[in-house]
Amino acid sequence: MIFTLQLMFGGIAIGVTLGVLLSVLRYCRICVAPVKGWVSIIRGTPLILQLSIIYFAAPTMAGIRLDMLPAGVIAFGLNSSAYVAEILRSGVESLPKGQFEAARTLGIPAFHMWKDIILPQVVRNVFPAMVNEIIALLKETTLISIIGGMDMMRRSQIIAAEQFEYFTPLCIAGAYYYCLVLFIEFIGRRIERRMVNDKNS
Amino acid sequence: MIKIRNACKCYGGIKVLEDVSIRVEKSGILGLAGPSGSGKSTLLRCLQKLETLDGGFLECNGKTGFMFQDFQLFPHMTVLENLVYAPNLNAKNVQCRQNNEKRARETLKNLGIESKMQEYPRSLSGGQKQRVALARSLMVNPDILLCDEPTSGLDVATTMDVVVMLKSVGETGVAMVIASHDLDFLTKISDRIILLKDGKIAVDMETKNHSDPVNHLKKYYA
Repeated sequence: MIFTLQLMFGGIAIGVTLGVLLSVLRYCRICVAPVKGWVSIIRGTPLILQLSIIYFAAPTMAGIRLDMLPAGVIAFGLNSSAYVAEILRSGVESLPKGQFEAARTLGIPAFHMWKDIILPQVVRNVFPAMVNEIIALLKETTLISIIGGMDMMRRSQIIAAEQFEYFTPLCIAGAYYYCLVLFIEFIGRRIERRMVNDKNS
Repeated sequence: MIKIRNACKCYGGIKVLEDVSIRVEKSGILGLAGPSGSGKSTLLRCLQKLETLDGGFLECNGKTGFMFQDFQLFPHMTVLENLVYAPNLNAKNVQCRQNNEKRARETLKNLGIESKMQEYPRSLSGGQKQRVALARSLMVNPDILLCDEPTSGLDVATTMDVVVMLKSVGETGVAMVIASHDLDFLTKISDRIILLKDGKIAVDMETKNHSDPVNHLKKYYA
């Protein structure tokens, strides 16, 4: 389970950081075409392919040999970055244009506008979608088994194959994932409720 | 104060402003009247530099403040935060911040909404939001205040409050340009009214020169 959590937290940390960076580049009109291309390619290709390229093809292409955990974290992080960037884009576009204009008319500089006016509203708007992304990423970590990673899913398969008993190990793995998802949902709901309370107070 | 010469603006091939020339020399209240789509909001946005002209010349001497039709208060900030956030960015020390807060409290008091200072915009009525929007635009110490449809969606009593409120601001020496399709409101408040129709100036009149300015303007609406 720790391996799964490491993959999830590592992946989401890279995904959110890179996703925010991609959004900033897009909205500052820097490298718009490469950012769009990146998002398009990542969303347009299977995660299993991206993971395979990083783990199997990178050593021959770039001479970089990564262990399973860093390869997984990077692959899940890069994949997540495109989705996070899209979530943030939808969040920014859902704000009225007038919020940007109001900031401009008050002479608020761009950095402060984004930091104090736009992002706090965007974070509130996209929070449920971000929780969804974390849950999706958690379940996608099961793909680590294709490069030999021993996560919960892979372990349950091995136990099942050894004991010729599939139902119980797979059910236990399923229960683990379900409990983790319920926990993420619980934390997400609490944060969301707190944000709503702050807004209503 | 404001010089506009042969201003032209198009949206997707449709001319919204066509050869508009206006000159405002002294402070006072200028009303921009006209039916929906006549170009009054566009002209106001050009004055605030939220839009650029496609042709012509526009000069606005002095700092401008802008009141949006839909207020555009920052929903995650309290009324007081809405007012002091922008001025505090330029505040060099705590003293400046305290002065800004004091000024904000005074402005809110003058507008009769001091009690709403710690509330969020979502809990305010339309009239109260309008006052907060006005207070916020006054916090930048504007020489010219641009108001886009300040009475839209407000009832008669609140509209009268807005008239009193804007007149009191005008008396402090702030020039105003107010765009509205409400002729009653505009004639009550403006010294001069320009009626735009299809992006062109149809009427340019001093309100005091007409005994019944509303009926005079209505003739051009048809």
